[in-house]
Amino acid sequence: MTRFKAFGPLVCAGAVLLAGAAVAGLSGAEAAKARMEHMKGLGAATKAVFEQVKTGAPDMAVVKLNAAKIDAAAKALPTWFPAGSGQSAEPKSHALPVIWTDKTGFDTKAKALAAAAPKLLAAANGTDPAAVGPAFKEVGASCKGCHETFKAKDKD
Amino acid sequence: MSPTPDAASPQAKLWDLGVRLFHWPLVVLIPFSWWSAKADHLDWHRLSGYVILGLVIFRLFWGLVGSPTARFAQFLKGPGAVMAYLRGAAAAGPGHNPLGGWSVAALLTVLAAQLGLGLFAVDEDSIEAGPLSHFVSFDTGRAIAHLHHKLFWVLAGLIALHLAAIVVYRLRGKNLVTPMITGAAPAEPGVQVPALAPVLRLIPVAAVAAGLAWFVAHGLKI
Repeated sequence: MTRFKAFGPLVCAGAVLLAGAAVAGLSGAEAAKARMEHMKGLGAATKAVFEQVKTGAPDMAVVKLNAAKIDAAAKALPTWFPAGSGQSAEPKSHALPVIWTDKTGFDTKAKALAAAAPKLLAAANGTDPAAVGPAFKEVGASCKGCHETFKAKDKD
Repeated sequence: MSPTPDAASPQAKLWDLGVRLFHWPLVVLIPFSWWSAKADHLDWHRLSGYVILGLVIFRLFWGLVGSPTARFAQFLKGPGAVMAYLRGAAAAGPGHNPLGGWSVAALLTVLAAQLGLGLFAVDEDSIEAGPLSHFVSFDTGRAIAHLHHKLFWVLAGLIALHLAAIVVYRLRGKNLVTPMITGAAPAEPGVQVPALAPVLRLIPVAAVAAGLAWFVAHGLKI
């Protein structure tokens, strides 16, 4: 009745949250775990490219393969952070609450990777191996740029 | 309380230049390595680590060919001697007593292990990584980095014990710091200190150690 004024909005909010989780298909903790696996994959791909850059004579096949992985991850990344998939759902997650309280700031960082990754892919598919290094540098900078603010530091 | 009048009593040359030149840079480099990692200056951290690597490689060789008091064979005693010392027997021979000898071994071992882990460690973005990290996967490199972080606290604990021991000795009238700087310590009655190795022997040993550290720092490539 009119006594339970908050009831309506609460039910709506609950429905929205459930819908969000249903769209993601995973619980908060599951989404967090999946994200951590995705990030590991991203780390392995950047490691592979960087090691090629460091040799001075990159193996372009390795670079192409991993640049494609980075590009695919960059496109999917914004979907890895559904509401409720932070540290309260999964204590092992390094995703800081500010990701959801400063959506604008976080989106800017995600966009930086989304802009850098295709350039790396283009360089990987190009004819000049020397172009890979600078393109990778931009990708690396975007990783660091987001982690600085939005990822928890290791406790040790 | 009977402090040894260091200036008055005859001095013996106890610690050679090798052990002293190895020891004192670590007092700066180990805290610097810790700080540079904390402050996210991993390029400085690697450089500091490479210098420590060279020093440790040097010390391991010097422990085989240096002055008698520098040699592992001279100061690492068996359990019998350690137990006897703990029960109050006088330490036989110059240099480290049995307990001190094994504390050196513990510090060197943990320091070497920390260096070994650092060589293969991968930071979270995979961009900052040890020079041998291309031999391991991202996951392994990350696990090694976590171990490298944790092992630092074991090293710090051993260093704290080391410092505490020096303070305790000082309170009991034995100054261990000055001999480690000058190399000379009050001669103990009846204890014969063997002659130190020629100073020139340092040069080839240091050169080999520096060369090996450089080689490792470059990922085992010339």
